[in-house]
Amino acid sequence: MGTLIRDILEDSAVKYAEIKAVKWLKKKEILERSYKQLMENVVTIRKGLLAEGFQGKHVALIGNSSVEWIESYLGVITGNTVAVPLDAGLPGEDLIDLINRSDSEGLFLSPKGAALLEPVLAACPKLRKIWLLQEEEAEGSNDKVVSLADLKKAGKDGADAGAPSLEDVATIIFTSGTTGKSKGVMLTQDNLATNVMNVKYMAEPGTAMLSVLPIHHAFCLVMDWLKGFSLGATICINDSLLHMVKNMGVFKPEVILMVPMMVETIYKRLSAADPAIPKQALAANVFGGNLRIIFTGGAHLDPYYIEKFAEYGVNIYEGYGMSECSPVISSNMPEDNKPGSIGRPLDNAEIAFENGEILVKGSSVMKGYYQMPAETAETLKDGWLHTGDKGYLDEDGFLYINGRVKNLIILSNGENISPEEIENKLALGALVGEVIVTGENNGLTARIYPDMDVVQAKGIGEEEVKAGLQAFLDEYNKNQPTYRQITGLIVRKNPFIRSSTKKIKRQEAMIDEPLEA
Amino acid sequence: MMTKEMQFKEVVAQYCDVKPEDMKDEMRFREDLGFSSLDFMSFLGELEDTFDVELEEEDVLKVLTIAEALKMLDNLEQEV
Repeated sequence: MGTLIRDILEDSAVKYAEIKAVKWLKKKEILERSYKQLMENVVTIRKGLLAEGFQGKHVALIGNSSVEWIESYLGVITGNTVAVPLDAGLPGEDLIDLINRSDSEGLFLSPKGAALLEPVLAACPKLRKIWLLQEEEAEGSNDKVVSLADLKKAGKDGADAGAPSLEDVATIIFTSGTTGKSKGVMLTQDNLATNVMNVKYMAEPGTAMLSVLPIHHAFCLVMDWLKGFSLGATICINDSLLHMVKNMGVFKPEVILMVPMMVETIYKRLSAADPAIPKQALAANVFGGNLRIIFTGGAHLDPYYIEKFAEYGVNIYEGYGMSECSPVISSNMPEDNKPGSIGRPLDNAEIAFENGEILVKGSSVMKGYYQMPAETAETLKDGWLHTGDKGYLDEDGFLYINGRVKNLIILSNGENISPEEIENKLALGALVGEVIVTGENNGLTARIYPDMDVVQAKGIGEEEVKAGLQAFLDEYNKNQPTYRQITGLIVRKNPFIRSSTKKIKRQEAMIDEPLEA
Repeated sequence: MMTKEMQFKEVVAQYCDVKPEDMKDEMRFREDLGFSSLDFMSFLGELEDTFDVELEEEDVLKVLTIAEALKMLDNLEQEV
C-alpha cells in the first residue's frame, strides 16, 4: 500500500488545519491561506475538473508562483488528471508547441499571460477550456475562456473525483532544454510521493520557507511546495526576483531553496558591505533575521560559499537531482553532510556507475518521456536512469559529481576531457567571471567573460585584461599534462546565455563569438 | 540634500566597484559595471524602496544603461 500526494495533503489539512500553508504579498499587504482553506479550494477545483469532463485528461498551467496556481495544480494531480506545468517565461510559440505536444485539453493561465489567449486559442485546437487564475468571473465573448472562479462554481456541489492509482502519471514536466528539443518527463503519483517522503528533512509546522525558484521547475514544485506542505510549513511566495532580498525581510524565512547563482549574488552583497558592520547585524539585514538553511541544487556550488555563509549563521546544503528523478537523487542534510559532496543518495535511490556515469534506479525514477520512445529507451535501460553526469561515491557513501558525460571533449589522441573539471579550476582566477572550455582545432579553448567588478576595480583596459588572463592560463598550464592544457583564449564581451534555470547554455557558448580563424 | 541622481548612483555603487562620481550616463549595467542578471534584479528592487516607485519586470528588461534607468525613474515619478 503506497501513499499518494492526495493522502499527504489530506493528512496535513487535518494535522495543520489552522496553520498558514501559503503567504503572499498584494501590494504591501500580506495575505494568507490556512491548510484547511487550501484543501477546500483544492477539492472544489478537483470536483470542477470532473464536472467539466477532464477525467484522465492533460491540463497545462502557465503562470508565476501564486496560491491560485498551486491550488489548481493540486486540484489536478489529486484527481485523475495530469498536470503539465509550463515555463511562463518561454516565448508564445514555444508554449503553443508544448501545449500541443503534451496533448493538453485544458489550460490554467495567469491573468498576466492574457496576451497569449488569442494565439493559443488559434493554434491549440485540442484546448477545450482556459481558466484564468483569478477570483473574478471572466468577461468576454469566447466561451472557452473562463476563470478559476467559474471552475469552482462548476465543482461546488458536484461529486468528487476518485483517487488516482500509484502508477498513474501525475505530472509531465518539460526539461529546461540546455540541449536539443525539450522532453516531457512523465512522473507518476508514486514517483512524486516517494521523493517527498524520502527527503528526510524535518521542520516544525509553521516553519517559514521562501519560495524563490520558478514554480514549474521540479525542484521548486516538489521540494518547496509538496515537501513543504507535507511538513506543515508556511510557503511564502517571492513575487519577483526584484524583491528577493526585500521579501526575506518581509517574510523572515528559516529555509530557502536556491540555485547557486542566487547564492553567488547574495554573497556579492554581503562582501561589498562595510567590514565595520558586525556579520550578525548584516545577516539580519540581508536575510531577514531567521534564515538558517539554504538548500541548493540545479548546478554545482563552489564549497567556498558554504564556508562563507556559515560565518553569517546560514548553512548551505547542496543536493543533486533532475526532473527525471522527481527530482532529488541525493542531498546533504543538516545532521548529515559533507561540504563539496552532493550528499547521500535517498533511501529509495539505488546508485550504480557505468564508465563513470551515475545511474539511478528506484521509486522516484520517471516512467519515461511523453511520446518519445527512442529518447526514453536511450535514457532508461532496465530501469536504470542514465543521468549523463559523471561521479563517484566516497568511502562514507557521499556522492560527488565531476563532470557531464554529454559535455566530454574527446581529442583525436583518444583523451577524454571533462570541461567542467577544468572550468572549476579556471573559475578561481581573479579576473575570471564566467568560463566555458570547448574543444576546438583539436585543442582546448577557454572562453572567458571577465569579472567586471575586478576589471573596474583595477581600472584596466581590454588589452591588459587579455594579458592578465593569458598569464593566468600559462600558470595553470604549467601543472597540467599536455592534453589538459588550454591552447586558445577568447575574451567574451558578453556573459554567456543562460537557460531559465540559470545554467549556461553550452551549445550557445560559441555562437556568440565564433573562434577567429 | 543629495540629488536624485547621486542617490541613484549610491545604490548602483553597492553592486559594483565604480564610485558614483566616476559613473557615466552611457555605462551599461552588465557589460561596463559587471552586473549579473540577478544583481540587476536585486538592484531594481532596491531602487523601488529608495524612490518609492513600482517597476514592472517586463519594462525593466529594456533598460541597459545608467541614463536609461534614470529616465525610467523620471517617467515613473511623473505618473504619480
